[in-house]
Amino acid sequence: MEEYHEGYEEEIDLAEEIDLLTNNNDDYAGVEEDLDEEGQMQLLILQQQQYAQEIPEVVKNFIIYFHRNILENNVYELHGIYENSFNRLTEKFYGKTPWPEADYIAPLVNDDQVFLTLYRELYYRHIYSKLTPAIEHRFHSYENYCDLFNFILNSDGPVSLELPNQWLWDIIDEFIYQFQSFCNYRSRLKTKTEEEIALLRDNIQVWSCYSVLNVLYSLITKSRITEQLLVSKHGGDMIEAAGEYGSRPLYKMLGYFSIIGLLRVHCLLGDYTLALKMMDNIELSKKALFARVTACHVTTYYYVGFAYMMMRRYADAIKAFSHILVFIARTKMYHTRSYQFDQINKKGDQMYALLTICIALCPTRLDENIHPHLREKYGEHLLKMQRGEEGLQTFEDLFLYACPKFISPNGPNFEDPNALTQTIEPHHHHAKIFLSEVRHQLLIPTLRSYLKLYTTMGIDKLSAFLDIDAETLRTQLLIVKQKSRQQKWTNGTLLEGEYVTTSDLDFCLKQDMIHIAESKVGRRYGDWFLRHINKFQDIIAGMDLRS
Amino acid sequence: MNNKSLLTPSPLIPPFRPEIIQSLIDGVDRYNPDNVSILEEYLGTQLQNEEYDLMANLAILKLYQFNPHLVNDLVINNILVKALTAIPNPDFNLCLYLLQEGALNDESIAKLILLQQSLEEARYQEFWETYEKDDAYRELTSEAIGFDTAIRKVILTAICMAYQSISADLLRLYLNFVNDDDGFEAFIQSRGLTIKDSVVIIPTNYDNEAKPTVIRENIKFEQLTKVIGYSNEL
Repeated sequence: MEEYHEGYEEEIDLAEEIDLLTNNNDDYAGVEEDLDEEGQMQLLILQQQQYAQEIPEVVKNFIIYFHRNILENNVYELHGIYENSFNRLTEKFYGKTPWPEADYIAPLVNDDQVFLTLYRELYYRHIYSKLTPAIEHRFHSYENYCDLFNFILNSDGPVSLELPNQWLWDIIDEFIYQFQSFCNYRSRLKTKTEEEIALLRDNIQVWSCYSVLNVLYSLITKSRITEQLLVSKHGGDMIEAAGEYGSRPLYKMLGYFSIIGLLRVHCLLGDYTLALKMMDNIELSKKALFARVTACHVTTYYYVGFAYMMMRRYADAIKAFSHILVFIARTKMYHTRSYQFDQINKKGDQMYALLTICIALCPTRLDENIHPHLREKYGEHLLKMQRGEEGLQTFEDLFLYACPKFISPNGPNFEDPNALTQTIEPHHHHAKIFLSEVRHQLLIPTLRSYLKLYTTMGIDKLSAFLDIDAETLRTQLLIVKQKSRQQKWTNGTLLEGEYVTTSDLDFCLKQDMIHIAESKVGRRYGDWFLRHINKFQDIIAGMDLRS
Repeated sequence: MNNKSLLTPSPLIPPFRPEIIQSLIDGVDRYNPDNVSILEEYLGTQLQNEEYDLMANLAILKLYQFNPHLVNDLVINNILVKALTAIPNPDFNLCLYLLQEGALNDESIAKLILLQQSLEEARYQEFWETYEKDDAYRELTSEAIGFDTAIRKVILTAICMAYQSISADLLRLYLNFVNDDDGFEAFIQSRGLTIKDSVVIIPTNYDNEAKPTVIRENIKFEQLTKVIGYSNEL
């Protein structure tokens, strides 16, 4: 236990000095030794494989070309290499096997360590996405991220490396993904071998929460991104605000993406207020930097929406989900060919599920671009969710399908023999609390449907209709009232907002009499005309082209 | 006529928050386990002075989340007790989300959850019955000065949002003033309400007004820019 404390405290100190990563590498030596024997065996096997199966000529040429463009900081070419060539070659040669180990390609790139670190980033990412990472891969990939961030943060002065934004986003995204994946892996000791458990126990600092947060905060500090965002909002001297590091795109973007990364990490840990607080200096608008990388744009809104939902701010969540789902629907044709198409679609589908939960709890008119799809996909769910007790299961199903992969930050207690047979499942913890929230509101849809039919009604009469006693009805009415008020954002940071009415149905009680008022939405003539004027103009433009 | 809801979110920056706490929770210092005692002391002041600072209390739970060896069950209980007084704000659940899996089964926490459920579900009589039948409950809330009054305020707010007038007997039950007429009258008068013929009159406010409205569409200038553009082409 003592060692444990020390490790944490040490890391905290280093947070200020931003050289934690070197320290972690020192600690890591132990693992290398542990892995030694096994590692060498593997090396041998790999060597044999490599001799038998040489690296294909096109892959060799690709790596040489790749290396040259890294040296020349040719971001344009790197963009193509990263998004297209690498994926094409993966499909052709490495669908079921890993890319060649970095050591084998080292001679092709003059043993360029920076390139090899970047290459390993892709190498491990490919194993995570296409194959099953073994514990060694998890450890080595962590080590490689340490090398990479160490190089970026702790070189003498800013490094001259330049990478496409998409890749920079993917580095942060993958770093967090592997952290989350590791936490979940560590939580399931039941299926592990003794060696694996020993490795996990002896290397508690690998993929620890503190080390991950340190990287993200260090990138934010180094890039002075907060200062830069403040200047772009309030004006001032950008060059001075950005400083030596932050004026380089690599640092600026890594710092910015780290903010979004923290939004995600805090959601994974169930800290929804802190998650949204990370966004204090970022405005949710189309002009924001996150919109430059589609995957980042989608991630941002998914987590903002999710955090709002968990904070009972359903109206704000609906707004966030609607915004990004409209965006995905409109840009569908552009990203069908992107390598991230599947991922974006999956997130989109999850957000439809979350949106369904939100509108079940807070009935709202949706944007016409997404409403038909939601009805088609989740219409039946929505009906079930309004049927009281029996709808609870549907809430749970949708929640578990669409929630992020929550993590338990500390992993099992290795001292406790029981821990070896237990599996920690943080999503059940979150689902349970969220569902208790839903449970309060189960009767609301039924009650609403009755209230909509009347303008005044006695408590006795309505309770007879509903087959509940008068006191229960009073209680239910108080719940309806409270749930029809939500904290909603109007301006300022994402956490700000005031309570407003979010329901079209309102009522008041004068002793035993309910007085009901419904607000109606007037016809939207202007909107209708605008849409048709645009349509008409398109037809005319089309005719012009043809003639 | 007030056009703001009677409900207010727990403030992001309460006026009484000391400078040192502010800078602590704003920066990376919030992760430093050495600072937990400062935050715990601050919670102590909140309990004493009938104040409440959600963000600072969440910072304590965050440190506990990362450093299980620091966990102090008494502090967690007190944070949850304070969060009860903030209902219907989501604070109580926001705290629960930060606890470890399994914490929900802890005896004290389970008791507090029971209280939370009855408050959230507006079963106020049940709340008081539960609260009074077992001394363990009073013990749990004993460090929070003015807890009873704070809960009465929570309940009265919910009533004022829904009712324009309510039978005094019923309200007395909800507020747990059954055998204490003087206390009851003093309390509701301090909240600006009057009693007439055994009926408590609640002035209209944003929440209990219930006025039918028609929402008209609002076209912004930006929506018209394209159409204006077309007219230029003609």
